[in-house]
Amino acid sequence: MNLRDSIKTALISLKSNKTRSALTMLGIVIGISSVVTMVSIGNGAKQLIIGQFSTLGSNNIFIEPGSFSKKMEGNQGMQSMLEEMTIKTLKYEDYKAIEKDPLISKAAPLAFGAEKIFYKGNDFKVTYLGTTPEGINILNKAEFIYGNNFTEEDVKSLGRDVVLGYKVKETLFGEEDPIGKIVRIRGNNFRVIGSLDQQGTQMFMNLDEVIYLPITTAQKVILGVDHIQEIVAQAKDENRIEEAVESIRLTIRERHAIDNPEGDPAKDDFKVVSQKETAEILDTVISIFTMFLSSVAAIALLVGGIGIMNIMLVSVTERTKEIGLRKAVGARRSDVMTQFLIEALILTLIGGLIGIFFGLVFSLLASFILGAVLSISWQFSFPLNAVAWAFCVATAIGLVFGLYPARRASKLNPIEALRYE
Amino acid sequence: MNIIEVKDLRKVYSNGYVSTVALDGVSFDVKEGEFLAIVGSSGCGKSTLMHILGLLDRPTSGFYNFGGKNVFEMSDDEAARVRNKKMGFVFQSFNLLPRTSIFNNVKLPLVYGGLSDEKEKEMVLSALESVGLKDKANNFSNQLSGGEQQRAAIARALVNHPAIIFADEPTGNLDSLSGQNVLELLQDLNDDGHTIILVTHEKYTSEMAQRIIEMKDGKIVLDEKVENRKLAKNGLIK
Repeated sequence: MNLRDSIKTALISLKSNKTRSALTMLGIVIGISSVVTMVSIGNGAKQLIIGQFSTLGSNNIFIEPGSFSKKMEGNQGMQSMLEEMTIKTLKYEDYKAIEKDPLISKAAPLAFGAEKIFYKGNDFKVTYLGTTPEGINILNKAEFIYGNNFTEEDVKSLGRDVVLGYKVKETLFGEEDPIGKIVRIRGNNFRVIGSLDQQGTQMFMNLDEVIYLPITTAQKVILGVDHIQEIVAQAKDENRIEEAVESIRLTIRERHAIDNPEGDPAKDDFKVVSQKETAEILDTVISIFTMFLSSVAAIALLVGGIGIMNIMLVSVTERTKEIGLRKAVGARRSDVMTQFLIEALILTLIGGLIGIFFGLVFSLLASFILGAVLSISWQFSFPLNAVAWAFCVATAIGLVFGLYPARRASKLNPIEALRYE
Repeated sequence: MNIIEVKDLRKVYSNGYVSTVALDGVSFDVKEGEFLAIVGSSGCGKSTLMHILGLLDRPTSGFYNFGGKNVFEMSDDEAARVRNKKMGFVFQSFNLLPRTSIFNNVKLPLVYGGLSDEKEKEMVLSALESVGLKDKANNFSNQLSGGEQQRAAIARALVNHPAIIFADEPTGNLDSLSGQNVLELLQDLNDDGHTIILVTHEKYTSEMAQRIIEMKDGKIVLDEKVENRKLAKNGLIK
């Protein structure tokens, strides 16, 4: 029996039991579409994170107050977060010391918070970042549309100058040139000296809704503190990030007089993490999460496969007489087997294709919904690998779960089969 | 020339507790072009004999040569090939596939033969023509009368131009007129040179054959030529 005849016969048989065939396929459709959706969402999440990190460059190192161990101690997370906020040991001078490290190319101190910024009748809630002129260049790669950066002189003299992110400028000034205009932040007047082009989100922070101040002004005038909240440093050599991290640790330990020769991060009052490390951890977490969700979906696929086997067994029993007749007129065992295998394959392949289609529709929907809910640009990723896998898995399921019923059919004795009522 | 040579054929069915002897040393030959009727009451072993002759079942012991080939030496696939190329089967209950056109039903043996579409179509239509069903090729089996269904089954049996046709109670499910048509068809096929083995429990049906083998308890009790062979086209006299 040639392939075309087998396919024709299979289609006739599947068509004659339309509802049954459709319900059998449903299992495969649900299984495949959920696997495709899960993998697609996982890929999207990965791409999102890679995107968020990559605009910043890959050799960043972050120094924050607090220590690693406290966060690890189970449900004390909230408490340790509060503690971190009260740790005041990270100083501007620490930044100066790190900047001199030969393994570091650039560094910037950060002091930040959220405040409302007022201009005439308008106001806008912004994140303010107190930093150095170089800090703006490290964090925001956008060009200046109006004016310029503030200067080192501003940092030294607590200058009341401010640089606006794109959306801040648009909201407060519209088409107007903002340079030289006076805005108010927490009761203080600031002069706008520059505004930046669009940059979008980076490290999950919308940089277009940020304003930049001299670090000293943010510390003393707005926050009223003496310490800084974070230092961003860039390693000179991407291959020597680990070394740079270790060197920073030693520098700060020495400056903070922490006796920690064994290098136990629990004893430090600060922590140093490289962006690469953070990205790798996130990547692993997402991969595990995707795998977990996909395996749950794969169970649906397995159940669908068992459904196929069940229906094929029913079909073999129902068509015992037909099998007997086919054998009587010259069908070999392999002919009968091929016929039933192809029937199972067609069921799974059609189910698989429908499943892939719905999987893509669902992942597209998910990308819209996630993008809207999280207000980030979630990229729909076509999960080509998942689609390819789903297709192979559907075929494999058809073969594996179709094999047993097909073998049973092929082994039927023609006489007994013909006599079967 | 003998198409079938059978010597001391035995078939014993065993379910592990009880053994039943269905064939108990059967020996006979069938010549090419012969029309043989196997008769006997229910349970005499005639159906078992036909199944073994038709390579649908294997004997327990004995000797069976079909067309000069020892059946014992054939593999399952070889037996399937012989059934496909050399044999045609007509069953009491027609055994047509439902939800399938008469054309495709008749084509069924050709599906396993590896011919071109054109050749297949030509053979199916010629088989349907010889049973007078060419105009019903596209009908489904349930749209045909019992007699037409059995004629379609005969078309399926002869579509491959087999050397021999086995007919197992072909008139059993038919009214007498349809039965007469079927027997007439079988006699015509025999006239065209086909060897025919007809299994029946009706005496007057067996008298359509040239030779009768009567069986009882798995043994041949009578093997004789039919003296006054009846012709179906002259009508059935019951």
